[in-house]
Amino acid sequence: MSNGNAATAATPILQLSDIHTYYGSIHALKGISLEVHDGEIVTLLGANGAGKSTTLRSINGLNRPRQGHIRFQGRDITSVPAHEIVKRGIAQSPEGRRLFPRMTVIENLEMGAFQRKDRSEIKGDMDRVFELFPRLHERRTQKAGTMSGGEQQMCAIGRALMARPKLLLLDEPSLGLAPIFVERIFDIIKQINEQGTSILLVEQNALMALEAAHRGYVLETGRIVLADSAESLKTNEQVRKTYLGET
Amino acid sequence: MAADASVPTLANRFQRPSVVGALGMLVVLGAAALLLKNLTVSPSRFFEVTLIGLTTGCVYALVALGYTLVYGILELINFAHGDVFMLGGMFTITYSTHFFGLHSGQGFAIVPIVVATLILSMLSCGLINAAIEFVAYRPLRKAPRLAPLITAIGVSFIIQDVGLAWKGPNYVTAPDVFPHTKVFSFHGVDYGWNKLIVVAITIPVLLGLLYLVQQTRQGKAMRATAQDKDAAAIMGINVNRTISFTFMIAGSLAGAAGLCYSLYVTTVRYDQGFQLGLIAFTAAVLGGIGNLPGAVLGAVLIGLIQTWNEGLPWHMPGSDWTQSIVFSILILILVFRPEGLLGERTPEGG
Ligand SMILES: Nc1ncnc2c1ncn2[C@@H]1O[C@H](COP(=O)(O)OP(=O)(O)O)[C@@H](O)[C@H]1O
Ligand SMILES: [Mg+2]
Repeated sequence: MSNGNAATAATPILQLSDIHTYYGSIHALKGISLEVHDGEIVTLLGANGAGKSTTLRSINGLNRPRQGHIRFQGRDITSVPAHEIVKRGIAQSPEGRRLFPRMTVIENLEMGAFQRKDRSEIKGDMDRVFELFPRLHERRTQKAGTMSGGEQQMCAIGRALMARPKLLLLDEPSLGLAPIFVERIFDIIKQINEQGTSILLVEQNALMALEAAHRGYVLETGRIVLADSAESLKTNEQVRKTYLGET
Repeated sequence: MAADASVPTLANRFQRPSVVGALGMLVVLGAAALLLKNLTVSPSRFFEVTLIGLTTGCVYALVALGYTLVYGILELINFAHGDVFMLGGMFTITYSTHFFGLHSGQGFAIVPIVVATLILSMLSCGLINAAIEFVAYRPLRKAPRLAPLITAIGVSFIIQDVGLAWKGPNYVTAPDVFPHTKVFSFHGVDYGWNKLIVVAITIPVLLGLLYLVQQTRQGKAMRATAQDKDAAAIMGINVNRTISFTFMIAGSLAGAAGLCYSLYVTTVRYDQGFQLGLIAFTAAVLGGIGNLPGAVLGAVLIGLIQTWNEGLPWHMPGSDWTQSIVFSILILILVFRPEGLLGERTPEGG
């Protein structure tokens, strides 16, 4: 189960080896190994409850794995606390968006840059986020909790970008959005990637995700059952049946 | 979505012709009429009592803010908070008299002593409050909400016992150093320096707190942590340190209140924090728990209601009824307007 190994010459920007993560006694991840290379979009597919979000929570330190190792840019980050992870260069738009509901859009974006030392450049980055999402600019003084789902999603992605991450983790950015928003979000994901940010994209919308991604992994109940290039996954019979809704 | 929805809800609230609303209005109107009558019977007395009420309200505000800060960040009612305030009074007496030799008749020499005592009391109570969080609440962070609540009541008893062991069962007296000479007169009523000093200590502390929460990096971390701890963590905020800091601030406000109270009232007893704490908690709920300006507003209102009730001459229930009135307000607010006067009605209840 391997392909897409063209880039293995360089060390991957992110590497998970044999990750086991638990919720209390629930064994949610049963040995996940995956890689993201510099400049890639990698997608993580799988049904509800497969362990996609838990994989991201293992990476960002919110749910520390009991076993296995996570390396980012060659350094072990397995037991680095959550609030240090973003300083290393990993930002996330989490499942359910998790904006600060009683802060304005601008304040939410500022929170994204909370740990940055280069205060002077933050304003410019915010302008760039507003260029990417003109709708957010219109809503900039509105409380985040009062916006529509699509607007909140944009804000969550924008907030993650404000950290100037080298790796962006996106958890179901298209969930609950109108089709027109979904297309926009995926366009923007590709645009962000072209500007040099590697992306690990969790999606249930497999079709759109495989269109955008270079490579993909398929998760089932805490295990990786398929790993391949996005092209091959798109034509894989099992994927077509289970995730692309073909019979 | 919620913005559109909240407009009609707000309108509904005022349009709703309910028996309860009408009764509520009747109670408020009745109280207003009683106050107006008292004002006409004796304007000078009314004015005097009102000034005392504002002073009391200031002390309540400092304590109420501690409840509201901690509730805002952990959704925990820190029942031990009133007792930390009591310790603040004890620290004030110990530091000022035993360390700095404060006694009455020192003139302006009291100023540096009071300032130094204020700083030390605030520091002591801040550290104690942060330690309480670390020892008693942090291990229960993921437990059901009832667990830390019961623990808080336990901590309250422990602190009272510490106060009892430290200072004994009787009232401890502080030297009466704030001058009672008048600052100004109005309708034959004197406003004493002792009251002004309490207000003069409270207001800068309140402004400092507002600045801290609204303008500083630490304040932003506090607000973010209060709204979503996981999201705050992935922004790079050290959530545990932010919670410790919040307890530190809440405790130091209680320390400042302890100083004001002990030097203004001049007596402190080991069990006083519990009752004053409940009054201050009521003030925080009245203003909207979790809401800082709300806590101040609620505290001033409760301070006024209490002193009006106890001090006005014409047909007021009197001090025997103060607690009943205060806790009736608490019950009414919890039943009919749980979000308080300034709180917002939010889905997550914060
Ligand atoms: N907070 C939690 N407590 C207990 N079990 C959880 C929790 N979150 C997720 N799980 C379990 O972990 C497994 C993986 O969940 P998750 O990573 O959220 O899946 P996905 O994101 O792929 O839908 C599921 O079986 C789920 O029931
Ligand atoms: Mg998920």
